[in-house]
Amino acid sequence: MASLLQPDRVVYLVRGEKKIRAPLSQLYFCRYCSELRSLECVSHEVDSHYCPSCLENMPSAEAKLKKNRCANCFDCPCCMHTLSTRATNIPAPLPDDPTKTAMKKAYYLACGFCRWTSRDVGMADKSVASGGWQEPENPHTQRINKLIEYYQQLAHREKQERDRKKMARRRQCMPLAFSQHTIHVVEKYGLGTRLQRQRPGAPLSSLAGLSLKEGEDQKEITIEPAQALDEVEPLPEDCYTRPINLPEVTTLRQRLLQPDFQPAGASQLHPRHKHLLMKRSLRCRKCEHNLSKPEFNPTSIKFKIQLVAVSYIPEVRIMSIPNLRNGKESQVLLTLTNPVENITRVSLTSCEENDPDEINSTAKVLVPSKELLLAGKDAAAEYDELAEPQDFQDDPDVVAFRKSNKIGFFIKVIPQKEEDTDVTVSFKIRHDFRNLAGPIRPSEEGADTAAEAIWLTHHVELRLGPLAS
Amino acid sequence: MAKKTKQRNHTGVKIATGAVVCVESEIRGDVTIGARTVVHPKARIIAEAGPIVIGEGNLIEEQALIINSYPENIIPDSEVEPKTMTIGINNVFEVGCVSQALKIGDNNVIESKADVGRNVILTSGCIIGAFCQVNTCEVIPENTVIYGSGCMRRVQTERPQPQTLQLDFLMKILPNYHHLKKTVKAGHAAS
Repeated sequence: MASLLQPDRVVYLVRGEKKIRAPLSQLYFCRYCSELRSLECVSHEVDSHYCPSCLENMPSAEAKLKKNRCANCFDCPCCMHTLSTRATNIPAPLPDDPTKTAMKKAYYLACGFCRWTSRDVGMADKSVASGGWQEPENPHTQRINKLIEYYQQLAHREKQERDRKKMARRRQCMPLAFSQHTIHVVEKYGLGTRLQRQRPGAPLSSLAGLSLKEGEDQKEITIEPAQALDEVEPLPEDCYTRPINLPEVTTLRQRLLQPDFQPAGASQLHPRHKHLLMKRSLRCRKCEHNLSKPEFNPTSIKFKIQLVAVSYIPEVRIMSIPNLRNGKESQVLLTLTNPVENITRVSLTSCEENDPDEINSTAKVLVPSKELLLAGKDAAAEYDELAEPQDFQDDPDVVAFRKSNKIGFFIKVIPQKEEDTDVTVSFKIRHDFRNLAGPIRPSEEGADTAAEAIWLTHHVELRLGPLAS
Repeated sequence: MAKKTKQRNHTGVKIATGAVVCVESEIRGDVTIGARTVVHPKARIIAEAGPIVIGEGNLIEEQALIINSYPENIIPDSEVEPKTMTIGINNVFEVGCVSQALKIGDNNVIESKADVGRNVILTSGCIIGAFCQVNTCEVIPENTVIYGSGCMRRVQTERPQPQTLQLDFLMKILPNYHHLKKTVKAGHAAS
């Protein structure tokens, strides 16, 4: 029966640019717009970078310089696990007295999962525990850097042209939306404008005002175009006859993780520095408020701002399904949970004919017509013995049980289609929402009124499962 | 019961001097255990279809199962020649592994919850990764590492080191907390 609690059984419809159906646990709620938001209708911004194994924070500029890789940690080139440094004692001649040998510590990298060691590729043991390991140098680095510089300059020039045109049209008091667009565009040639800005003579950032310095002191970078060669290196003669040594051949995944070299043999697989992960913050695209902002510290999983939908919208869950038969009416038990602390009134309506949102349902549903009352979530209720249980006078035909902030209620489902697919039903849920985030306006009567309740409607789809055979 | 008397040519367990075998381990059948081998409590060594000979310096951890059983647990009606299971020196059988391989060489490591079938022959320096099930019918070449959920393989350049430190430590500490099975000198040499 745990399969009934799977998150994708009950999905809510998000009316954004695209109509997205997602379980409530994956949605956010913008309490300023009073609408549900999914991951596709928010803008994602990078908050901070950190290394997943040493949990070291790294400022974004430094991360870009190091190509988003950690300086201390390595990845196994064979299985992509994190490498650990191991030490052995080797006899080494003392520097003072070459005849005597003393035990010196030598360090090597080893993978705990696939037992790869740095000695497998011929890397010598180092005498320092960390910092001694070098990544092999890419022979084409110079050419690539030159190309990048050239294209950066080109992009910068294009951006200036665009800004000049835009300034004529847009007003100065909309810098935020304006700058976001230009940031997305300039980033297309990597490394971005931040490093360029530090160069003397380069124009200042276009975020604040615009400085239209045309006479820049940057020297023109020219590149030679790549030259096509007629002759290619011939294949070795025993290419077809040499037997393949299978353990030596690298897998595609191992090869493509090192795009600089793409070694074909396992003896050339060198370890690479570990990729950094990032924490992201989400922002509503309409009102530009933050929906999710994690804490800066990589060891903390909490959020500074966390406007997730499950803490504002009542959640529908399937509790039990009887055997569903085509054309026959069955009762399905659902639960509604109230996440907020005040009493919420919920009313359900079935979808009308020709509702544009109802495309998936394969059954007719009869929802209770009365309004359902949900008690507020009271965290201290279980400890408070003297509290009187609130008397809600539920209709036993509609409400099966009531437990603190949750009720179980029945809906009647009549499957319409005989096909093999799952029976899906949809209905609209309408509840009142008190926006406690709004500014508290002092009322004229002097008493503090509760926040205004607005009514929100959501479209919910449930996947009940296959017809009983 | 009749089956047991047929097998009991060399009865019982022969434990060499220097081996540390805890009383809580379950050893059934004709088993020979070499010197400096440590058998943890709750390890099971079961010799049903033939004797088991375990060499020196092995480390058999808790809930490991070394079993010489009939293939697919079908006891043949007619008398089948009992096959001896030989285990070499310096092997490690980690927690919860199951080994039915008839021939295991030296310096192998069978990691936790790995399952080695009867038709596999481990040579030297092989490492069977955690939870890997190897039931092919083959000889695993030396220094092979089998790892990952897809049982990927690779060859390592050096064999795993014998766990001498761990063995010494256990041989000192285990007798402080567990009763040990008494050593029984081998009457006839194991076949």
